[in-house]
Amino acid sequence: MAKEVGADRLGDFYKEGSLVRKRREWRGLADTMYDYSRWLKIMMTLGKFVMKPRNVKAMFRYRWMANYLAVPMMVDRHTQGLRGEYLRICHEEQDLVIDDVAKLLDSLFRGDRRIGNDKKFSDKVVLVDENEMTAVMMGFPTLKCLSRETPSTYVSVLLNQYAACHYIDVAQEFGLAGDVCPMPEAEAGVSIDDDAPVLGACAIQCNTTCDGSLLGNGVISQRLEKEDGIPVFQLAAPLRHREDDVQEYAAQEIRNAIAFIEKHTGVKWDWKAYFECAKRVNYATECRQEWLEMNRTPYPQVFGSNLALYTETNYMAICGRVAAFEKADRKITKLARQAYAKKKMAAKEYRHRAIVWGVQSHYYMDFLVWLLNCWGIVPLTDMLSMVSTKKLVTEDTPENREQAIYDMAWLTENMIMRNRTHGGYKVLLDELWEFVEMFNADMVILWEHMSCKALDGMHGLFEEKAREKGIPLVWVSHDLFDPRIISRQGVRDQINSFMHTVFNEEPIDPSLEVLPDEKSW
Amino acid sequence: MSLFLNIIKVVAIVIVALFALTFTVYFFNLDMKLTAAIYPWLNKQYDKVKRDQHL
Repeated sequence: MAKEVGADRLGDFYKEGSLVRKRREWRGLADTMYDYSRWLKIMMTLGKFVMKPRNVKAMFRYRWMANYLAVPMMVDRHTQGLRGEYLRICHEEQDLVIDDVAKLLDSLFRGDRRIGNDKKFSDKVVLVDENEMTAVMMGFPTLKCLSRETPSTYVSVLLNQYAACHYIDVAQEFGLAGDVCPMPEAEAGVSIDDDAPVLGACAIQCNTTCDGSLLGNGVISQRLEKEDGIPVFQLAAPLRHREDDVQEYAAQEIRNAIAFIEKHTGVKWDWKAYFECAKRVNYATECRQEWLEMNRTPYPQVFGSNLALYTETNYMAICGRVAAFEKADRKITKLARQAYAKKKMAAKEYRHRAIVWGVQSHYYMDFLVWLLNCWGIVPLTDMLSMVSTKKLVTEDTPENREQAIYDMAWLTENMIMRNRTHGGYKVLLDELWEFVEMFNADMVILWEHMSCKALDGMHGLFEEKAREKGIPLVWVSHDLFDPRIISRQGVRDQINSFMHTVFNEEPIDPSLEVLPDEKSW
Repeated sequence: MSLFLNIIKVVAIVIVALFALTFTVYFFNLDMKLTAAIYPWLNKQYDKVKRDQHL
């Protein structure tokens, strides 16, 4: 039990064969009391959630709801070893995301025909994909933009590494291909398994990133439209998003999506609300850019999962629509500036500065914290955090209204992952090496999501360029949502052997090298 | 005055007892240990739910 950063053997908290860890960390009096107070707050959020009978009913109806028992443990995994400002930044983000997901679940069950069956509420709901930019909802403040896939699969796998396995198996039992991305496959599996809440006036699906995503959407929309009577709009954003000649088409798709929502909800687009959201999007961009600027220096502050998870939520799922995230942006920036001014470090030793590229293993999101604690590798930024930095127009004028349509189209084309896995050679390959130089990185960690065909095809090109630049590159294979293919230890082993053989180094915390977390949530 | 002091004493004891209890739960991860025990039971419950499984 130690106050100092890096003085604990963090691997000793794990117990062979157990779902959970032995105990929580002692981080010194001030930080332990802070962590305890945030744990109390999370327990209150969860307590408030289960006070409603409809939420308890949903807990016994939907298989994926069991994963929400593991909420406090998810926070513990991401705060491992953290002290001071880093601990506070992590809690600011995680606690807000938990609160937001609790509200999302509550709204889903309120409108769900099986649970709350509030028809009036359901008529104000527009369903969206999990992996979809919610920009088209920025001008509909009176409507509820809800994603069923976010709580059933995306968040579930963050909570429990095996959360999606049942749904992947169901999808494959019904003949769906086993070699597509397990994320959309699991989402399709939830629909096939009759385990998705049924609600909404209409739905907007997006041609997100890949073949698997299109497959999943096809299965889900068939059930929504033909059985549940919920009309679905297919927002087909261009894949060559850096090309000027596709922008008019992209803008027209946004106009069509807005017209579709207006038609099915009877609610008109509100420009005032849109420009308010646009201001918040710009503020979030400013903050993210400031954090990334700090990460270029020897004293990075908001990095690893603190950067990755929050950016995914704030950029895509929130998209300026929730004022609480602006407040969190401000707090995080304040904490980061404070730590930067004092030249603070999140671990006792920084040995390597890494750019993490590719699509990360979702069942092991806290891998980024592990890199830092075990090997002193600072994950300065990752592919999914390197999103659009374009400023949106914020003044309500006739010209800006037209420009705003193009801004929403740009955001939709540049949603997380898609902005790099599609759009050509430059956005995926060339810009990685520009970031390596910009961030003064000395290694690249390249996720190889084995079912992601968009990335796998570039394997050789990445290696060729790494050799040319003289930058050590390590591949880390995984199967995104399915730890049965490559376990968390399998992920760690790839880094462990690289660090031992290529860098000839020993871990900072040897207790973390091999962890008995195969059965863990 | 003595009644007032007694009230303060009772409130203080309740606060300290609540803190001791919740901090023990927090530190020894008892909340997660309890939910880990519930989890397998919940999974059995889901297997009993009638579903209209199809493509």
